Amino acid sequence: MLNAATEQIRHNHEMLSRLDGAVGDGDHGTTILRAMEAVAKTVAEQKGDELKPLFSAIAWAVMSCDGGSTGPLLGSFFMGLADGAAGKSTFDAPALAALFAAGIGKLHKQSKAQIGDKTMMDAFLPALAALQAAEPSAGPKAALRQAAEAAAQGAEATKNMRAKFGRARNLGDRVIGHPDPGAVSVSLLFKGFSEAL
Amino acid sequence: MKKFINNPQNLTRELLEGFAIAHADLVTVKSEKIVTRARKKPAGKVALVTLGGAGHEPALSGFVGKGMLDYSVVGDVFAAPGPPKVIEALRLAKRDAGILFVVLNHAGDVMSANMAAEMATQEGVKFKMLVTHEDIAPGGNAPAEDRRGLVGCIPLYKIAGAAAEAGKSLDEVYAIAQRFNENMATLAVAMKTATHPATGQAIFELAEDEMEIGMGQHGEAGTGPSKIKTADETAELMLSRLLQAIKAKSGDRILLILNGAGATTLMELYIVLRGCKKYLDAQGITLVEARCGEYLTVQEMAGFQMFVAKLDDELIEYWKAPCQTPALTVK
Repeated sequence: MLNAATEQIRHNHEMLSRLDGAVGDGDHGTTILRAMEAVAKTVAEQKGDELKPLFSAIAWAVMSCDGGSTGPLLGSFFMGLADGAAGKSTFDAPALAALFAAGIGKLHKQSKAQIGDKTMMDAFLPALAALQAAEPSAGPKAALRQAAEAAAQGAEATKNMRAKFGRARNLGDRVIGHPDPGAVSVSLLFKGFSEAL
Repeated sequence: MKKFINNPQNLTRELLEGFAIAHADLVTVKSEKIVTRARKKPAGKVALVTLGGAGHEPALSGFVGKGMLDYSVVGDVFAAPGPPKVIEALRLAKRDAGILFVVLNHAGDVMSANMAAEMATQEGVKFKMLVTHEDIAPGGNAPAEDRRGLVGCIPLYKIAGAAAEAGKSLDEVYAIAQRFNENMATLAVAMKTATHPATGQAIFELAEDEMEIGMGQHGEAGTGPSKIKTADETAELMLSRLLQAIKAKSGDRILLILNGAGATTLMELYIVLRGCKKYLDAQGITLVEARCGEYLTVQEMAGFQMFVAKLDDELIEYWKAPCQTPALTVK
């Protein structure tokens, strides 16, 4: 699942940097790629099947990547996943929703952003809502597909928003018409998750 | 892109290696991205720690040395270092006298600093964190989180560093630094873009006959482009806004720094400074000291940051105290 998400970023990092050129300093693609390569490396070096130590190792590796706020934010997300994964190895749809709720909850402690603020939360929060609303009987794959669609719609909606956080905040109306690259990245991660299962 | 670099992936590591060779008498690099003094400050004195992305040389690590910083944590180009390196530096600096932890207000830097600060608190590291946010581009009444930390961190390192060398306690060093922080203001102007050395892309666009006041140090937009003005007109336009921001009036004493962004000549800075002095004289404001030079650059961007701060006797004493760092020496 994580490797499929990394693959999505590998294919799209140049596009993400171009998007960032319109609203920030044009390096988001480079930054998120570096973070996801750190994820892939940690997964490759994984010993054993336990998820909690894997997510903890990923969190530390991602936070060690320099990259503005992306490293600390994604790192927090994985720290939250580690908390949520404690003692679990398989996930049905409700368990998956609980796992992501732990990750996104931890992330939300660092970013105070809400839906409408033109940040990665515009993709994360709708994806979480879709996971929580998914029919338990439909299974984790269907739930993740709905989450990926919700994240993509959330990222698309950032086009019409003004930014309340980060460097784009200083641009005012000039960012309208351009999506938030962080939200687009998150939608790509969910696309990778949903296609992997 | 025309730059003398090797693999863009290795920019930060390679520049720090060269920096350490050039200033081997003053600094060393630890754990790849932590710059520290070659000769340590006595443990009984408060340490100064800061963090920030590379690409702004000589800032920030050029100000590590006696009388200024103890540790500078370096991120990749224009990118905050991650929390693990920051906590490592706070652990290295740990001492009973405490640490003044200076952070420039940029989203990534603040987030990384907050996460490291949380860990440091849990580990019993004694520190106080101070965020600089002296950019007045968003307007004088804009909330602090909207105002970026620009070149003002450097005179702040100087003043807080001198207070630390003088043996002041952490509370005292913090109070002095905070008083300076509250009485300083910066406004930037840009004329030509810079190339991001890792991506090769221009960081913003400006027409040949335009300038933009309020541009941030990573090309973040300011108050919108306008036609280029003369040095005197630009000096007056920017300085009048800055003096208003720090509420400077006749009889006040100020420090003024014109910080070149990378491609603006010293010739231009001197001509702008001359315009500033004329304006200050007309207002009856005393110029304690003026400095023109490159302290915090943005690659080959043309433009400058104009910095002013209101000084009192104690701040003047610390500003004039000796320091010896790669980028600033006061004897």
